[in-house]
Amino acid sequence: MTRSIIKIKTTLLDHQIAQLSAIAIGLSLIESVLPSPMPGVKPGIANIITLYAMYRFNFRTAIWVSILRVFATSLILGQFLSPTFMLSLAGSLLSLLTLYFSIKLPSRFFSPMGLSVLSSFAHITGQLLLVRLWLIPHASIYYLIPVYSAAALIFGLINGWITYRLLKHHNSI
Amino acid sequence: MKLRSKFFLGDSLIIFISLIFIIFAFKTFWHFETGSVVQVNFQGKTYGNFSLFQNKEMSLIGKEGESIIEIKEGRVRFARSPCKNQYCVQQGWIHFTGQMLICIPNEVSIEVLGKTKAYDSLNY
Repeated sequence: MTRSIIKIKTTLLDHQIAQLSAIAIGLSLIESVLPSPMPGVKPGIANIITLYAMYRFNFRTAIWVSILRVFATSLILGQFLSPTFMLSLAGSLLSLLTLYFSIKLPSRFFSPMGLSVLSSFAHITGQLLLVRLWLIPHASIYYLIPVYSAAALIFGLINGWITYRLLKHHNSI
Repeated sequence: MKLRSKFFLGDSLIIFISLIFIIFAFKTFWHFETGSVVQVNFQGKTYGNFSLFQNKEMSLIGKEGESIIEIKEGRVRFARSPCKNQYCVQQGWIHFTGQMLICIPNEVSIEVLGKTKAYDSLNY
């Protein structure tokens, strides 16, 4: 019997995506054990890695890192295809869409801080839309909008600042 | 990608707009209106609507016994109830629109109404 060795050719970018995803998954897992005052109010620290990937490499890398993170984290936590996973995916997709457009903004005026705030607002918008359309199709969830948007601004700023410092440290900006 | 500017005008703009949005959201969605009318439901039917701006005591005789609803100074409460748990009585006075007190054993519920109907989880 001959042994067959399957070898996948990987590029340097694949390795970088894998490394960044691993960090993002780790951050997501750390976050999942942190207590939260309200379901859904989370720092979203894994978004730092998505932003970092986008600035350091390109937008495609950011998509990979973000989507891999959502799938892998849900598999590890046993939430794959559950509402939690769907919410996370909806938030990430809308967040990525926002980043796709906002990265085109002139970098003279917009730093990772601003983009981070935009993307965290997009994240919460995606989640609330899904909740409104699918999970709780009732207007009472509008009560949560003020709390979630305040959290989005605060955590968006913090994440953006961390991303900015990371990029500066690595001389990427 | 190179970032040149130290003063991020766009960022400030984003933060400013978000702040305005948050303030707007708090004002719009966390707007509690003082109600003017209380609707009393008894045994699955609307027993009647009563103005909150009066002093009134109502007695409803249900399956369990006598429930007493008290209206005073724009607020309303269950003054007495024959039920075992006394949840309805212990919740005290209510006066915002959409607030509700329910006594399931005696089939009495009261809801504060205003000009517009507030959201509540019970209609869902």
